[in-house]
Amino acid sequence: MPLASVYANDWLAIPVLLAVVVGGVYLVSVLDELFGEVVSGSRPNLGRSLRLPVRQAALLLCQSATRTEHPDRILWPVAPAAYAALAAAGMAVIPFAEGFAVADVRTGIVVFGAAEVLTFVAVYLHGWSANAPLALIGGYRSLVQGFSFMLLSMFVLIGVALPARSLSVGQIVEAQSGLWNVVRHPLGLPLFLVVGLGAALWGPLRLPDSRELAGGTVGEVSGPQRLAWEFARRAMLVSYAVMAASAFLGGYLGPWLPGPVWLLGKSVAMLAVFVALGHLVGRVRPERFMAQAWTVLLPLSFLDILIAGVEALP
Amino acid sequence: MAVSRLARLAAAAPVPVFAALGAGARGPVEELTLSDDVTLVDSPRHATVLLVVGAVPRSLIRPLSQVHDQLAHPRATAWWSSEEATLDPLPQATLIRAESDVVLAVGGLHAALLRGERASELDVLPDEPANPWRGLGANGQGGEGMMGGTPYGRPMAMTGEDRDGLPLDQLHLRLGPFLPAFPAGLVLDTVIQGDVLQECAVVGNPFERDELLGGALTATPPDPERTLAAMERARARHHLHGVARTLRLHGLDALARRTLALAMAPPDDGDRVRYLAHRLERSTALRWATEGVGRIDPSAAEAVGGIVARAAGWSSDARSDDPVYAELGFTPIFRHGSDAQARWRQRLAEAAQALDLAAAAGERRSDGAALELPWGDDDADRRLLDLLPGLLTGQELGDAMTTLDSLDLDLERVARAVARTERA
Amino acid sequence: MLLAFVAALTVTAGVFSVMLAVRLLRPHDELGTTWSHGVPLLGGQAPETHAWSRFHARYYPMAIVLIAFEMEMMVMYPWAVVYVELGAKALVEMAVFLTILSLGILYAWREGAYRWQ
Repeated sequence: MPLASVYANDWLAIPVLLAVVVGGVYLVSVLDELFGEVVSGSRPNLGRSLRLPVRQAALLLCQSATRTEHPDRILWPVAPAAYAALAAAGMAVIPFAEGFAVADVRTGIVVFGAAEVLTFVAVYLHGWSANAPLALIGGYRSLVQGFSFMLLSMFVLIGVALPARSLSVGQIVEAQSGLWNVVRHPLGLPLFLVVGLGAALWGPLRLPDSRELAGGTVGEVSGPQRLAWEFARRAMLVSYAVMAASAFLGGYLGPWLPGPVWLLGKSVAMLAVFVALGHLVGRVRPERFMAQAWTVLLPLSFLDILIAGVEALP
Repeated sequence: MAVSRLARLAAAAPVPVFAALGAGARGPVEELTLSDDVTLVDSPRHATVLLVVGAVPRSLIRPLSQVHDQLAHPRATAWWSSEEATLDPLPQATLIRAESDVVLAVGGLHAALLRGERASELDVLPDEPANPWRGLGANGQGGEGMMGGTPYGRPMAMTGEDRDGLPLDQLHLRLGPFLPAFPAGLVLDTVIQGDVLQECAVVGNPFERDELLGGALTATPPDPERTLAAMERARARHHLHGVARTLRLHGLDALARRTLALAMAPPDDGDRVRYLAHRLERSTALRWATEGVGRIDPSAAEAVGGIVARAAGWSSDARSDDPVYAELGFTPIFRHGSDAQARWRQRLAEAAQALDLAAAAGERRSDGAALELPWGDDDADRRLLDLLPGLLTGQELGDAMTTLDSLDLDLERVARAVARTERA
Repeated sequence: MLLAFVAALTVTAGVFSVMLAVRLLRPHDELGTTWSHGVPLLGGQAPETHAWSRFHARYYPMAIVLIAFEMEMMVMYPWAVVYVELGAKALVEMAVFLTILSLGILYAWREGAYRWQ
């Protein structure tokens, strides 16, 4: 394809990406509310669930911003912005349709992995900047959980890169035209979902923001900054859902319907799985998670890469 | 106008409420989570309404004022109380009587705040730094070595020894009483290095010999005329409340609501509770979070009695000797483990058993149900409180909170037990 | 790649402009800057010291093990691209490499690196 036309496409992809982020964040909030009602045994109220995120966001916009005694005034608000930006940067390497991505670079999964690692920096700084004990403990928890699942994500993504002979997400999707990666090496997707939960501080891996630390890194935060933080967490979840759909479920590939519709459907399914896990799986202990991640999940990811390797051999 | 439209949307949001618990407040506050119009939040920074509930000892007014000042603006205070509370410590608070609709009242406050009909409450405590600026350097650092002095109004942490031989900084923190996992009135003096409690001590019991402001919401003494079935149902309700609290602490809010709904309308027999127990016991994460946490030495657990003893392998239960219970075929349930996991499982099993007993009891009456209270005997909490510092020391902060939650401690019961011994 | 940065910057700018615009529009923020409002959360008490300290991260042995693996990742990315060309030889090489690393994990586990120190 001529360079000019690629660029013409790619500039258009930026507003699409932003729409995916904002729409996805809203969808996560709605799904979360609906699932919560189902699990708690009450009748789900769709109208209320659709209105609730807007109202809660409006409330946060009307609240004052808290200033603790001598916080780091620059890094504190930067943390949620960086977190959201990393979600977008990670998603930028994923094509929404054949040849239509913000930046389907040759090193796609390296970029995605780099964005994931920098996520821990954002979460850590968010906890550290407040200069408050419970938030600080939350910040250090984000590092233990990040260090524990970081390798999983790398191994699993390399597993999908093997049959594609490329680190580009577009190539990885194309390589699944015969068979989806979730069938080729079934261990990959569940491991990747664990990583997604951790990167978005969601459900069982919401350790840095957990309730027993009175909200942890977000405990000292109110008003628009808290809105930004909750937005960023959900954006990260969306980013992982789209990546899971592309790396394991064939992305935009599918018969009859146009590519983006397929990707949308698969991503929403992944989001639903994330949200359901959030309601059904309780918070884990940081220490226990660390031990299990290194002694159970990491060997499983080795096994995953072995299966992928054997399967990819001509 | 754009802003007023935003405010109208915000006024329609569920009210984020931070609950400051006094005596006899825990049950009613937990039931608020079942309402669609109120959200119980973990941090005062997230709330618009500070809901003070039940009877608060005068000595806790200072921490209460601190929490009040920590709420984000716009904010309001409401005191939910069975009696006319003396509101002079928090003059701006609105009184909500126990019998009135608290959700409606709190919602009214929230809406009035956001529509600008009510001004946001000002701070109660003075606007002064904790320490005067002191030090030598440009930023007040000075002092000994790198970390001395009082930069920006507070000293820096100093190092202390640790079990792994790395001397790093210790934080001396006084925690509570208004933290999510803390029972009403509990204040702990702790030394924390990293996220591990190196030292831990209970700071008095504010419910002893202190003037109480406001009235408890659930201070109904056990009615001797009640039937065995009613008492067993009350027992099941108590245990299900405890399990719901544990689930909420572990981030399972929706399952907690489901459990609470069971507690509010106890089913006719224990099957639904047993089904819930079966589902929860299969949860790996919940097992990881509670297994081996807060293990009590079995001999100490036996001395405490109640659930704590029965979760440590002892079958002690005052109901065993009662002829009416024998007639119903009652045998105590017990299990081994003596950790937080054994205790929540024990609560669920006993809740199911209590519902079965209630179903079988008909119109029978017995003193046996009153002998074995849901929390053991009247002195059990006092013995637990004595164990607490030793139990929490050396634990990671999250594990310490899990342990605290698993004990179902009530400082007001401790105060009553102390008062009884003093009278005797 | 450039466009990925543009996208990230757009999101950053978006989040910031919302936070900033709100701050300008809202009347309450003056109230939220007092000393007693700023006291960190401890459930009603004030801390004696600043929270910033030389924090005892009790998972430090694990963090060191992680660094060893991070280096290993650098090798794996190019390996993944040429894997199919090289075939079974590449698989065996990586298997040997991962086996050695697994022994490292086992050793660290035996030494208690995955426990709170």
